[in-house]
Amino acid sequence: MPDAPTPRLIYDAFLITAHHDFYKPAVSPHVSGLGLGAALLAELVISGHLAVHAQGGEDLVFPGPRGQPPQDSLGLWLVELVRSEQDQLAVPQWLEYLAIADVQTKTAEHMVVAGLLLRSERRSRWLQRTQVSYEAADALIAQAPLARMRRQLSTMDQRMPLVDAFLLAVTEAVGLSKPLYSQLPSGARDYADGHLRVLPAPLQTLRGHLIAAVADNAITGNL
Amino acid sequence: MSAPPAPSSVVQSALARDKLGTLSLLHFSLTAATPLTVIAGGVVVMFAIAGQIGIPLGYVIIAVSLWLFSVGYTAMARHISNAGAMYAFIARGLGRVPGVAAAWVAATSYCALQASLYGLLGITAEGLFARAGLELPWWAFALAAWLLVGLLGTRAVDINAKVLAILLAVEVAVILLFSVSNFAHPADGLSFAPLSPTALGGEAAGAVLALAVIGFIGFESPTVYGEEAKDRKRTVARATLATIGILAFIYIAASWSIITAVGDDNVVAASADPDLMFTLAGEQLGSAWVTIGQVLLLTSVTAASLSFHNTTARYLFALGREQVVFSWLGRTSVRTCAPVAASITQTVVGGLVIVLWAVLGLDPLVHLFYYLGTSSGIGLIALILTCGIAVVVYFARDRRDESLWASRIAPTLAVLAMAGVMYLSVAHFHTLLGVEQGSLLPRLVPILFAVLALLGAGWAAYLKRGRPEVYAGIGHGAKAPLVQAAERTAVPVGVTGDR
Repeated sequence: MPDAPTPRLIYDAFLITAHHDFYKPAVSPHVSGLGLGAALLAELVISGHLAVHAQGGEDLVFPGPRGQPPQDSLGLWLVELVRSEQDQLAVPQWLEYLAIADVQTKTAEHMVVAGLLLRSERRSRWLQRTQVSYEAADALIAQAPLARMRRQLSTMDQRMPLVDAFLLAVTEAVGLSKPLYSQLPSGARDYADGHLRVLPAPLQTLRGHLIAAVADNAITGNL
Repeated sequence: MSAPPAPSSVVQSALARDKLGTLSLLHFSLTAATPLTVIAGGVVVMFAIAGQIGIPLGYVIIAVSLWLFSVGYTAMARHISNAGAMYAFIARGLGRVPGVAAAWVAATSYCALQASLYGLLGITAEGLFARAGLELPWWAFALAAWLLVGLLGTRAVDINAKVLAILLAVEVAVILLFSVSNFAHPADGLSFAPLSPTALGGEAAGAVLALAVIGFIGFESPTVYGEEAKDRKRTVARATLATIGILAFIYIAASWSIITAVGDDNVVAASADPDLMFTLAGEQLGSAWVTIGQVLLLTSVTAASLSFHNTTARYLFALGREQVVFSWLGRTSVRTCAPVAASITQTVVGGLVIVLWAVLGLDPLVHLFYYLGTSSGIGLIALILTCGIAVVVYFARDRRDESLWASRIAPTLAVLAMAGVMYLSVAHFHTLLGVEQGSLLPRLVPILFAVLALLGAGWAAYLKRGRPEVYAGIGHGAKAPLVQAAERTAVPVGVTGDR
């Protein structure tokens, strides 16, 4: 299978969490939103557009050291939102906001423009509304991110790129460990844990808050 | 007290719109309660066991005790994570070792209480369907309900909440109708004797109070949604107080109305009829109401099973996430995000109990519903008492800007009240079980809970030495991974920049 055509973390996260195929189920929408929110924040932290620091016992999101704004509209939208906040908000608040602000649809529209997804509309006479769905332009490309991670976990021959290590963290956090590790060599989990343990501190923080937000959702339900 | 400041940004406005008000929290906590099960399945039994008319007074005493408890409980909930689970309060107030001990007792109690309901459900369905010409053993109906609860339990919680809300609305309407009818047909006029202090006493008092506590289980659930509340300080406290108040009103009115309709002197003898509530409705409103009441009791017990199933599953899930018990209990369903592993575990336990009781030929009402239900009641009273002590100790160290009433006076009064209830329940547990004083069973149950607590404490001691990062996360529930990650890098929680 080919590797993903784009290095974008959020695209890969979308194809893993929100895209349903034979090998794995689609994640529940709210949890998928949380996962995509974490991926978008991580992408902007890695690129230096955002930063995560602890202050007053909370993990807050700040504008990053990089002066130039992001080139793409999705990243620009979030960076501008962060900049417009008078008081910096905590990571859990951003994750919750991104989930309820339907970051999943925003990402899907972005991927339609990039040619990775196809948008289709279907008018339901019964429900009296139009339902929008997004299908992969190429099924093999849609499967590529998970296949790429599984290849790395099965060969274990070189260090995972940082972006893939965080993608691994998102995949586990949203509950897709089973399709990820299914039929892999016994040392795959230890190999993955080794990468997750050495994630940079801000990404560790994002990962921890994502896991906590998913668990909170399981306890309180989809409010 | 001033209202929370208005949100100042697009993001904060969107987050604020998503927050829950008092009515939403009340909806969640009341759907966890199933009043018809308590009235038709519990109150009539209380008359029979206690042989007294002081049941409404028992509910008044427990409602006041739980209100006092809830003052300190909701105050402490504002300062801790995982505020939905009492063991988390105990872990933060008394320490992680007592916290794990409490968690083991709590998980077992909730598990047993849920399984016990299958006995009442099976026997109710057996009688109802027998009248319709379908003769099947109780366990066949219990297994059918068990399957339904097991399936719904693995779905998203909001689906269950809608099912429970509809059932609750119908139940409350019918209870109020039956109660008004009872008051409208008094045997000897309206009597205030059931509320007299002399109406409740002797060895039966402990049994009445213990059974009354079980009827309120679920009152603590608004704290689960503390972080989603519009105003964490007031919304949760109001919803908890309203839950206790509404349930108390229903229980007191219904039990008092039965006494009024039958008469002070006749109610104990009349309680030999387990369907007394419906029999009275049949006499006063027409025979169709007997069937309506029994059908609703069946749906009510099913709803109660589902409600306790969800509570137990969330408890096991939180413990699994903390890795305090098997970590696989912390798995969620990919599609629905429901705590699927914990839910299936609870389903397996319930199924084993039904099969075991059926194979051994034990009585579903006495040996399953009463014995297992009342035994779990002892565990839950111990849990509330220990949690109350934890609240007192927590605020004794630091009041954290809470009022003297919320941090010191109310929690202390609640501990005294719950200690009294605990003493009476354990001392008179034989009355609760309907066996002779000195029998093995009444002594065995408290010993079993003590052994469970000791095993839990031993496990916590092992975690402290062998897995300190897991030990650090005890009591934090969903946020345990954050604490555990911080422990691994030996940096306090929340500190990220210097890691």
